[in-house]
Amino acid sequence: MGLEYVRISPGFEKYMPRDYVDLVKYGPFGKQVDVMQMGQFKELVEEHPMCAGCYMAYFIRVFYAALPNPEDTIVLGTAGCARLALSQAAVPFIYGNYGDTNAVASGLKRALSIRFPDKVKDVVVIAGDGGLIDIGFGMTMHSWFRREKFTTIMVDNEVYGNTGGQESGMSPKGIQLKMAPLGKKFDKINAVELAKTAGCVYVARISPTNPKRIAKTIRRAILAARHFGPTFIHAYTSCNIEYSIPTREVLADARKREKQDFKFYEWMTDEVKEFFEELERKEKQEVKK
Amino acid sequence: MYFVADVKENECAKYNCKQCVLFCPEPNCLNFKSSTNSAWVWYDRCKGCEICVYVCSDLLKRHCIEMVMVTPKATAKS
Ligand SMILES: Cc1ncc(C[n+]2csc(CCOP(=O)(O)OP(=O)(O)O)c2C)c(N)n1
Ligand code: SF4
Ligand code: SF4
Ligand code: SF4
Repeated sequence: MGLEYVRISPGFEKYMPRDYVDLVKYGPFGKQVDVMQMGQFKELVEEHPMCAGCYMAYFIRVFYAALPNPEDTIVLGTAGCARLALSQAAVPFIYGNYGDTNAVASGLKRALSIRFPDKVKDVVVIAGDGGLIDIGFGMTMHSWFRREKFTTIMVDNEVYGNTGGQESGMSPKGIQLKMAPLGKKFDKINAVELAKTAGCVYVARISPTNPKRIAKTIRRAILAARHFGPTFIHAYTSCNIEYSIPTREVLADARKREKQDFKFYEWMTDEVKEFFEELERKEKQEVKK
Repeated sequence: MYFVADVKENECAKYNCKQCVLFCPEPNCLNFKSSTNSAWVWYDRCKGCEICVYVCSDLLKRHCIEMVMVTPKATAKS
């Protein structure tokens, strides 16, 4: 990996698809793009089959624009809607068996640190609420107990969207879904508190209403995982299909939920806090120069 | 025929704004051109969700985006 895998061999430029050439010329490889410049550079993720107005797709779009080191990142996903877009990006993607993502990511991260001891390689899991907190619960928890150094992002649409609307541990109490018509009898699982208890060093909860904040959260989660231990982001990413949200109202819904149960929340250990304070101090000095 | 967003570029250019571009779920679909100071839609990539219309009309009251029906032939030119 590294920038070498992106470069077009001399003489082949005119045979490469336009999207690829654009990516090399105008994409974010080897430079730090600002998420607020989206729509003005060639994004890493391409067209994909996620539904119209899907805010999980939006979150993934911002995720790829926010990666601090795309040329040395590996993304892991699994069955569920997210992988439909994750697999369409110019970043290596591994499809873990449903429920296995955090076990695969553990092995991968360890192998990369042995194989490339002098390089930074970021590993990020992005999977649904079903994949991480229901069927993958054991693997997710144990990767945190073992303090594995990678980032886990749960794109929580509060349902099994990809299989037509079964209830998940993250569905809100009382909700009736197409394949769970009796209504959910239990509370939504408190994933953020579980992550803190299980050993994550950086934890955040976010609703996708502010791209700058999403990007900052993703960047922090990835940088903290590089140096200190497991990190976790719980993102609300609505499923307009299963929750029957008119697509024009999807952002309004994200804003509404932010005021209710998805208020932005960020927690980190003292060690991580000091690290970011130091880093941000240095970045400010750079800007002044 | 399908339903896509279309930016009234002359209207949009009056504002210094990129807000809709930052909230479209699709990558490189709703873009910004600094030479005209305006947003524009790559029709082939648009799924017609109208989130951009919510941003421009409902939130910002600028009304610079309308939804239009296009034929595949018309989109091929973009
Ligand atoms: C071991 C295993 N069990 C069940 C499935 C079937 N399956 C595919 S996607 C899915 C649900 C996905 O729900 P979630 O993880 O919440 O993601 P979403 O589609 O909602 O984003 C299930 C049960 C599978 N692929 N593998
Ligand atoms: S089913 Fe729901 S979560 Fe899946 S792509 Fe469609 S809107 Fe998004
Ligand atoms: S209608 Fe939806 S997909 Fe099309 S440009 Fe607007 S926000 Fe993007
Ligand atoms: S929100 Fe409206 S005014 Fe702002 S960039 Fe988009 S189309 Fe132009």
